[in-house]
Amino acid sequence: MKKFMLIFVGTNYGELGLSPEEMQSQMGKWFEWQGKMEAAGVVEGGHALESNMRRISGPERTVTDLTAAEVKEIVGGYYIVKAADFDGAAKIAEDYPDYHLGGTVEIREVMVFEQ
Amino acid sequence: MIDHLFRHQYGKMVSILTRIFGLTHLETIEDAVQDTFIKAMTAWRNGLPDNPEAWLTKAAKNRAIDLFRKLNTDKNRLPKLEQGIAAIALNDLFLDTEIADSQLRMIFTACHPILNPKDQLSFALKTVSGFSAKEIASALLLKEETVKKRLMRARKNITEKAISFQIPQGNDLPDRLSRVLEVLYLIFNEGFHSNKKEILIRHDLCGEAIRLCKMLLKNQFTRTPAAYALFALMCFHSARLDSKINEANEIIDLKNQDRKKWYFPLIKLGNEAMNQAVETAVFTSYHFEAAIAVEHLKAPTFEATNWTKILSWYEKLYQIQPSPFNLLNRAMVQLQRSEYKEAFKLLEQINPKDLEQRAYLFHGSYAEYFVLTGKVKKALKSIDTALNLVRNEAERQFLLKKKYDITNNLN
Repeated sequence: MKKFMLIFVGTNYGELGLSPEEMQSQMGKWFEWQGKMEAAGVVEGGHALESNMRRISGPERTVTDLTAAEVKEIVGGYYIVKAADFDGAAKIAEDYPDYHLGGTVEIREVMVFEQ
Repeated sequence: MIDHLFRHQYGKMVSILTRIFGLTHLETIEDAVQDTFIKAMTAWRNGLPDNPEAWLTKAAKNRAIDLFRKLNTDKNRLPKLEQGIAAIALNDLFLDTEIADSQLRMIFTACHPILNPKDQLSFALKTVSGFSAKEIASALLLKEETVKKRLMRARKNITEKAISFQIPQGNDLPDRLSRVLEVLYLIFNEGFHSNKKEILIRHDLCGEAIRLCKMLLKNQFTRTPAAYALFALMCFHSARLDSKINEANEIIDLKNQDRKKWYFPLIKLGNEAMNQAVETAVFTSYHFEAAIAVEHLKAPTFEATNWTKILSWYEKLYQIQPSPFNLLNRAMVQLQRSEYKEAFKLLEQINPKDLEQRAYLFHGSYAEYFVLTGKVKKALKSIDTALNLVRNEAERQFLLKKKYDITNNLN
């Protein structure tokens, strides 16, 4: 089994103007997905991320504080999942609940160093 | 998790915070509450807290503290706390009884006479019921932009006129309460008569109207016979909600509804409220409408309907509320009783223009009259007029089917 990171990229929830009802239903879909992955024993871990961010760049180590409103797309969270290959990981990612909100899943294989 | 928890909690949180900070800060408050939900939605993804409701209440308290800080940093925006608040410990405002009190204050604010009547509905659905502008637009068949404008105008009015966040007292209460009941009645009817494809929206609006009415019944000052009667009426109608439309979203008229599908627990709830509603001799239009609804529910079959009683209720209703819709309904009852002349007389009294966007109902009723009196050509002509006026797709389909039946003599 290989490990893959599913990275969730999209508009920050705060910018989407979701209603409380939509938020609750969206959350329910995330539960379902999480439950499904746990039942299948494929999920290793993951986190949702806060939307405020600090960016450090350049040799001068320039520090910029950004709010979600200032960036078009933002990484909102990630999961590490176990799958045989990309197709397997993509199969898991099919249930990601935010596609209709413009969200994207980027799948990256976790690199393993031979000992 | 409880259905609609977020939506209901939104209304609660906005109401409590408004009670603390005043209506002038409503927009800031709504944004803050919205933020809390976004946070909950993301943070709870991987697992619910043991008690989501308590979590949200605690979050509301924290928001209150944040807002104190935020509004305090800018001296001009220092919150002008509502009178008496300083004396009440913050914690006390989060007791169930105080939360209910805050929500009632918000309902009365939404139905305040300084607001444009059209804005009242949108504003109530937004601040009391936690609907988004998009959801309101979809529920009330309006453009989202229109709803946003109405919400903005309402907020502006409230801030400019500096109305206080209170349940009116003394002589003001009866009038203000009667408008609250009217608004709830309108919200309910939007749900009940809406023929939107999404069944959910119909249920949501009816459910909200019932929930808000129930809040009025829990308060000793707003627990009036009229409020009980309205509650009963909404329960009786809701009991039939699922049988009104079939899976293909086609309207099923009362005659053809599956009476086994009527939801008995709601009828029972309505009956209990009705008993409370008639404890005094005050009768409102809600009383008579509820009485009419009960007669329909009592009849085991359409044929067994007690039209005599229904007609007498309609006559009493007309005395206190002489609307063209009541005349139309009475005419339809007369037709059921084969009293064609009397029905015709009533129809003659109606100016279809008074029915506004529901004028097609008038022509539909005429068609019915002509069918029953064997004038097929005239019936078809009336149906065509109705078809020209109807804007709602489900109603249009209903009329088309009627036309088909008349043409093929299937009546």
